[in-house]
Amino acid sequence: MSTEWLVNARAAEVRMRFVTGDVSAREIAESSLARIEATDEGIGAFNQVTAELALASADRIDETRTAAVREGLDPAQALPPLAGVPVALKDNMNLIGTRTTCSSRILADYESVHDSTAARRLLDAGGILMGKCNMDEFAFGSSTENSAFRPTCNPWDLERVPGGSSGGSAACVSAGQVVVSLGSDTGGSVRQPGALTGTVAVKPTYGRVSRYGVVAFGSSLDQVGMFGRSVEDTALTLQAIAGHDPADATSVDLPVGDYVAAARCGAEQGIAGLRVGLVTDLLEAEGAAPEVISAVRAAADVFAKLGAEVGEVELPSTAHGLSAYYIIGPAEASSNLARFDGIRYGHRAAGAADVLELYTRSRSEGFGSEVIRRIMLGTYALSAGYYDAYYGKAQRARTLIKQDFAAAFERFDIILTPTSPTVAFRIGERIEDLMAMYLTDIYTIPVNLAGLPAMSVPAGLCPSSGMPIGVQLIASHFAEEQMFRAAAAYETAIGFDTSPPTR
Amino acid sequence: MAKDRLRELFADWEAVIGLEIHTELTACATKMFCGCPVEFAGEPNTRVCPVCLGMPGALPTPNARAIEMTVLAGLSVSCEIARESRFHRKQYFYPDMPSNYQISQYDQPFCGLGFIDIQIDGPEAKQRIDRDTAANVSPIDGDGAAYSARIGITRIHLEEDTGKMVHVGGAEGRLQGATRSLIDFNRAGTPLIELVTEPDIRTPEEARRFAQQMRLTWLALGISDCNMEEGSMRVDANVSVRRRGEKGFGTKAEIKNLNSFKSLHDGVAYEIVRQIETLEAGGSVIQETRHWDASAKRTSALRSKEQAHDYRYFPDPDIVPFVLSDEWIEGLRATLPELPAARRQRYRTEFGLSAYDAGALVSDADLATLFEETLGLTGAAKAKAVANVVLNDVAAFLNAEGVALAQSRLTPGGIAELVELVSDGVISSKQAKEVFAEMAASGQMPAEIADTRGMRQVSDHSAIEEVVDRVLAANASQVESFRSGKTGLLGFFVGQVIKEMGGQANPKVVSEILGRKLGSGG
Repeated sequence: MSTEWLVNARAAEVRMRFVTGDVSAREIAESSLARIEATDEGIGAFNQVTAELALASADRIDETRTAAVREGLDPAQALPPLAGVPVALKDNMNLIGTRTTCSSRILADYESVHDSTAARRLLDAGGILMGKCNMDEFAFGSSTENSAFRPTCNPWDLERVPGGSSGGSAACVSAGQVVVSLGSDTGGSVRQPGALTGTVAVKPTYGRVSRYGVVAFGSSLDQVGMFGRSVEDTALTLQAIAGHDPADATSVDLPVGDYVAAARCGAEQGIAGLRVGLVTDLLEAEGAAPEVISAVRAAADVFAKLGAEVGEVELPSTAHGLSAYYIIGPAEASSNLARFDGIRYGHRAAGAADVLELYTRSRSEGFGSEVIRRIMLGTYALSAGYYDAYYGKAQRARTLIKQDFAAAFERFDIILTPTSPTVAFRIGERIEDLMAMYLTDIYTIPVNLAGLPAMSVPAGLCPSSGMPIGVQLIASHFAEEQMFRAAAAYETAIGFDTSPPTR
Repeated sequence: MAKDRLRELFADWEAVIGLEIHTELTACATKMFCGCPVEFAGEPNTRVCPVCLGMPGALPTPNARAIEMTVLAGLSVSCEIARESRFHRKQYFYPDMPSNYQISQYDQPFCGLGFIDIQIDGPEAKQRIDRDTAANVSPIDGDGAAYSARIGITRIHLEEDTGKMVHVGGAEGRLQGATRSLIDFNRAGTPLIELVTEPDIRTPEEARRFAQQMRLTWLALGISDCNMEEGSMRVDANVSVRRRGEKGFGTKAEIKNLNSFKSLHDGVAYEIVRQIETLEAGGSVIQETRHWDASAKRTSALRSKEQAHDYRYFPDPDIVPFVLSDEWIEGLRATLPELPAARRQRYRTEFGLSAYDAGALVSDADLATLFEETLGLTGAAKAKAVANVVLNDVAAFLNAEGVALAQSRLTPGGIAELVELVSDGVISSKQAKEVFAEMAASGQMPAEIADTRGMRQVSDHSAIEEVVDRVLAANASQVESFRSGKTGLLGFFVGQVIKEMGGQANPKVVSEILGRKLGSGG
């Protein structure tokens, strides 16, 4: 059968065709595998394609459906919300039966010994895992060029980056290889690649999704996020994985909202009365492209036409976001990555004379240059005599940023910003210019520092390059329903086609 | 000999000692941040999981019971309990620490300033030459034989223990000369509390008594088995010396490998002498970590490679801070059992025991329980007699046999009966020793033993009077001498009467009757 339908399909549609018996889970898995086979040499979204696992779990899902039918149950009711939907995971999410490499030499052969809660819940919801996605090594980067294996290419233009660090997770959804995928977002690592690949990309509130089993980068900033080709697909995915997890002491024990209903409500009933604040001071940030700025202003007009009360808001402390982030993130990362020492697992240097040499050589050989840079930055920032000047000060800046947002959310329900200052840049273009690379996350970083939920929604194509532009919708803590409602209304209003032209 | 040398040196010098006591909360069913069981030994790496092995993506979840025990420990030593507390990461690379950071506490420990009162008695009390003048010291019983010292506690914090390394191919399993190292992570993640004292300790004996009392306290709370040999309680001592009268501190050395109370005492005593002799010889003390070698009876510097670590402490972002309510803390306080200092005080005031006896009983939970259960049968009036049997006969027997009370045949009922036989004059205290030995050996009750051995003393006045009359009549000349002033002959008459009665006459009754008859001039 033709695999074309799957390339543009939404999750609900895939599930419906499966539960009604129109197509089997095995056929869906085979179609997804065929699509990956046909396109991934050029794109490089996957570090590992888990074909055997995918077919085995597809067969199990088919059996579940057959059993439900045999028992006289309605498969549409009996089967879980993502039944038969091809999914992918960022390669920092553990799942038994897969390698979890973090796109690093130090973990190149590492086999997971436990499951990340988010991955487990995604599969328990019926998702068929197609593979593990390429990323910037240990999630340090904004282009997926820092992978130890290969860069991932943007399906809209293979010469360009897909963004990062969850570039593989974004690219596989954009390229129609899978329907939804998970990534992790520490400073924009889901939202920025979402914007650059024309996909919908969500970072939930810190604590909304368990971090257990996700290889940590910045523990106080990391949050599992998701990609989809529609707002509703990301809502469905969050719905499946959100909720308290006793294994993550920072996950929050609050009821999970009905995100799908919120998205449908936004699409069908609009957002009259919703208060939307367009960020003005941050908008004209260093390096922001005029096309991006006008796309965000146009988005504000769309919200106004949809009946929202649109106003302007300033977030002055967010000017310090990037600096604070490049202290706190590396500080936590330097500690989190200390466990990769060649003693219990991962790359171990051969022939070391003593334990110190074993550590230094295993780590020097195993880590790439950006990883080493961040470990050094973080180690320095936490050193005796520098702690207050760096880490302490960064935490104070973080508090001010939280206060800015808190004040803004007294006046607005949603804050609107660009997701990324530019469209996807060319591979190699910024690899030597670290500041330009770091500035890519200027709009997304303050959100992680404040622990807020935010998402990137495609806002159209850049007239000069033809590449997608994303706008970022930020909501207050645990107001994901509000956020999905606004995003779905906007999505419906602009009718963006998520299919890259190169297909 | 270090002890005599110490006494000499203490005339001019003073030691300043602080202790750090690590105790594993072995009463916790599970580890500090995961669900693995807490046990000792076993096959290596069998009580491990992704969390305590530091696998990628694993996250810690704090053990509520361990936090409760830590706060309980703090309450038991009068610590201020922090209303807000948190865990930090202490970072350094070592293969026995899976994450290469230890989750510990830094500037917000659960327990802040506290104190306990320790008691020093016996000959060791003399080590403290300023015991009448020091501010934190007060005499007990007023005879100078025992004193109480208040030792400040800086803090108690909670952390996770590390794994254990075994070095193969070198001497005695030490790193020096080893060809390879094995790691057992069974212990990694075991909840561990660290108590730090103020530098309030002045003698090796105070150090020992302090550590012993902490052990008793943790045992009373039921939070740890405090087994120093197995390492569930570990004591490090910071030692420095200064000339008497000086207020500043000298350079300190940290002594490790003090894995018994005797090692603690001897190691500290050795180190004090070493430091004073070094200084008197014109040398200087180096700030370093020293290893106590119990067989060589000396401390030696560990390879001083260990320069000042920068642990890069920062708040652990995986664990949210703790806010403890007054109600929760007071609820825990209400569960505190009677603690050693209070118990010693009660034994002295309620039962009239000496400080020494009270201290000795309280220092052994088994003996203290036996003492109190026996008193329940005899009544408090016989406390001193019961204490004597428990501290002398019972302790000596257990010590000689090398068994615990629970494994012996000794019971409160048996001890009570023995004490009563003596106090009722049924057997002599000399006979009591024999009865005790038999009771301890066979488990027979004292009355039964006394009967079978025909030990019952005759206290029947008429029977004794009869014999007394006979003895006095047969020794007329001695009676004459006694009456003319040689009263020392009373013992002779008592002996004769008891001998006549086959050793079974109650000596007290015999003397009484003899005194009456001889004095009456009859």
